[in-house]
Amino acid sequence: MSEIIKIQNLQKVYDTGAIQVHALKNINLTIEQGEYVAIMGQSGSGKSTLMNILGCLDRPTEGQYFLDGIEVGKLSENKLSLVRNKKIGFVFQSFHLIPRTSAMKNVELPMIYGKMHARKRRERAKELLCKVGLEKRLDHLPQELSGGQRQRVAIARALANDPPIILADEPTGNLDTASSVEIMELFTQLNQEGVTVIVVTHEDDIAEFTKRVIRFQDGQILKDTKRGEQ
Amino acid sequence: MLLWENMKLALTAIRVNKMRSFLTMLGMIIGISSVIAIVSIGDTMRSMFANEYANIGLNRAICYVMKYDGYYYYGENFTADQVEQIIDAFSDEIEYVSAGEGGKVTGINGRKNYEIVTTGVRGGYDKVQKVDIISGRMIDDRDYEGKKNNIVLEEATAQELFGTADVTGRTLKIKYTPSGSSGDVIDDFNIVGVYRNSQSVLMRVLGGTDNSRGLAYLPESILTDIETNGMFSIDMFVSEDAPATFQQQFINYVARVTNAEPENVRYSSAEEEMMMIDSMMSSLSMAVGAIAAISLIVGGIGIMNIMLVSVTERTREIGIRKALGARTGDVLTQFLIESAVISLVGGIIGASLGAGVVIIGGTALGVDVVVKPSVMLMAFAFSALVGIFFGLYPARKAAKSDPIKALRYE
Ligand SMILES: Nc1ncnc2c1ncn2[C@@H]1O[C@H](COP(=O)(O)OP(=O)(O)OP(=O)(O)O)[C@@H](O)[C@H]1O
Ligand SMILES: [Mg+2]
Repeated sequence: MSEIIKIQNLQKVYDTGAIQVHALKNINLTIEQGEYVAIMGQSGSGKSTLMNILGCLDRPTEGQYFLDGIEVGKLSENKLSLVRNKKIGFVFQSFHLIPRTSAMKNVELPMIYGKMHARKRRERAKELLCKVGLEKRLDHLPQELSGGQRQRVAIARALANDPPIILADEPTGNLDTASSVEIMELFTQLNQEGVTVIVVTHEDDIAEFTKRVIRFQDGQILKDTKRGEQ
Repeated sequence: MLLWENMKLALTAIRVNKMRSFLTMLGMIIGISSVIAIVSIGDTMRSMFANEYANIGLNRAICYVMKYDGYYYYGENFTADQVEQIIDAFSDEIEYVSAGEGGKVTGINGRKNYEIVTTGVRGGYDKVQKVDIISGRMIDDRDYEGKKNNIVLEEATAQELFGTADVTGRTLKIKYTPSGSSGDVIDDFNIVGVYRNSQSVLMRVLGGTDNSRGLAYLPESILTDIETNGMFSIDMFVSEDAPATFQQQFINYVARVTNAEPENVRYSSAEEEMMMIDSMMSSLSMAVGAIAAISLIVGGIGIMNIMLVSVTERTREIGIRKALGARTGDVLTQFLIESAVISLVGGIIGASLGAGVVIIGGTALGVDVVVKPSVMLMAFAFSALVGIFFGLYPARKAAKSDPIKALRYE
């Protein structure tokens, strides 16, 4: 199996002027293609910070991050946009759908930026929304959908350009137990299809779905356990 | 492809926020509509004057002699002999000559009095000038030579005096003052013809009261005796085939015949006059239009203001788009197109409004309105440019925003 994510001596310092926050301290981490990972830890321990760097939304202060063999810290803004568009699918706690824009259009968005042909794009958006069980909600606006349905639209959108990695930061944080289970089952299915899935969560029940749990504390990795090793 | 997507996006944004979009566009609507209205009114006036001069005859010219003695004053009248000599010398170029006599007379039919403006004409006037005779005939050479008391009325004048335009063959009493005579004369005149004036209402109003009361034609010999009075000015129609040097030749010749300095011979042609009025009006409408265009800056600032609000409101949306792979340029284009579309839609509404008002007003006044498509297109292009210019700052602000901060924005 190939290393899709490789992090070496990664540091992240937020400089807010008065004080410096050392959010990530010397992280070393390797994730292979097709892994199913949960990241856990107390609030403020640096989970989201790591996810942002993994998702190429932010750059490390120090250290290296190789995504699929490419060191992304050195890429230009526009190259990073391209990497996000092609390699990463984001799922957020508060869904982050574009308001007043139909489910279809939301799912089409990454494909628009990826310059996919309009007809192909629409076909794929429909296909993905069917896959997440929303074939009857294609033209609904986000505000017309339940939380669980919104998150499923977000997952369909994350899959639009068929990325190798899904990054989900507390995807079930705003959902009830039943919807949470549905979402996690969806991730499990995707992982079985070969997608690398990384989920941040506070709940052990959610982490149960995954095959590897990384525990954070104070910007450092406290524990990294693979299922079956323990 | 992205361009089209962005346009649809912008139109949706406008639709969703109807009231706000309208208020944003209001500045552009007012600015563009006033510019279009002013420019179109200017163009309409220019075409009206051009028509008017085409009616008078662009090849009409008037020549008279001034004297200078420390200051200018009118010289002596041309004598009949001098006039004959001049006409003979330019018989190929001059198509029609008269003394340009005319003036107000009073038409009397029973107890009805009506003031009429007259022009003294000779035979052949209707060859150089369009006269739309609807019954009877125009004044001819026999009327002129024989000093016949004949008159051709305008349709509206006939209506006024007789209550009908069908007056050919009837008699009208006319009170007038012949040139060189001290008192009024009242004479019976035969109405030999009636013509129709094709001038627009507005043009008559602009022409002053004189033209608003239709012109009547009568033999010039009735109004003045050239043999004894001479002619103050030579009022003539110059052949279109006359060489370019005609004017100077004519002036020199007149100077020689009348013993005057060439610079004291005044020669004014309708064409020159028209060109002067035309250029005056075009610069006037341009100047007023430019002042109105200042309001476009106000409109542009309004758009910039709303776009800044919109960028702030949609911070999170911008963050999401960037996370999904939008490049700086994509976000920039999205907001630029949005402000250009808002501005363009405002411009289209404004241009239609301005043109509409001018067309409705023109129709009410019976004027053929000139609204140039090129001016409309320029207005559209300009309003889109205003949108792009004033959208640049907000769009750059959106494009440069940090995706993480944008995603966290509450
Ligand atoms: N933009 C920022 N500027 C300054 N400090 C920041 C910024 N973002 C995060 N931090 C700090 O970095 C640390 C790690 O934050 P992070 O969001 O990664 O925590 P987290 O593990 O995701 O917490 P939670 O479980 O509550 O989401 C925190 O102390 C936080 O205050
Ligand atoms: Mg977090």
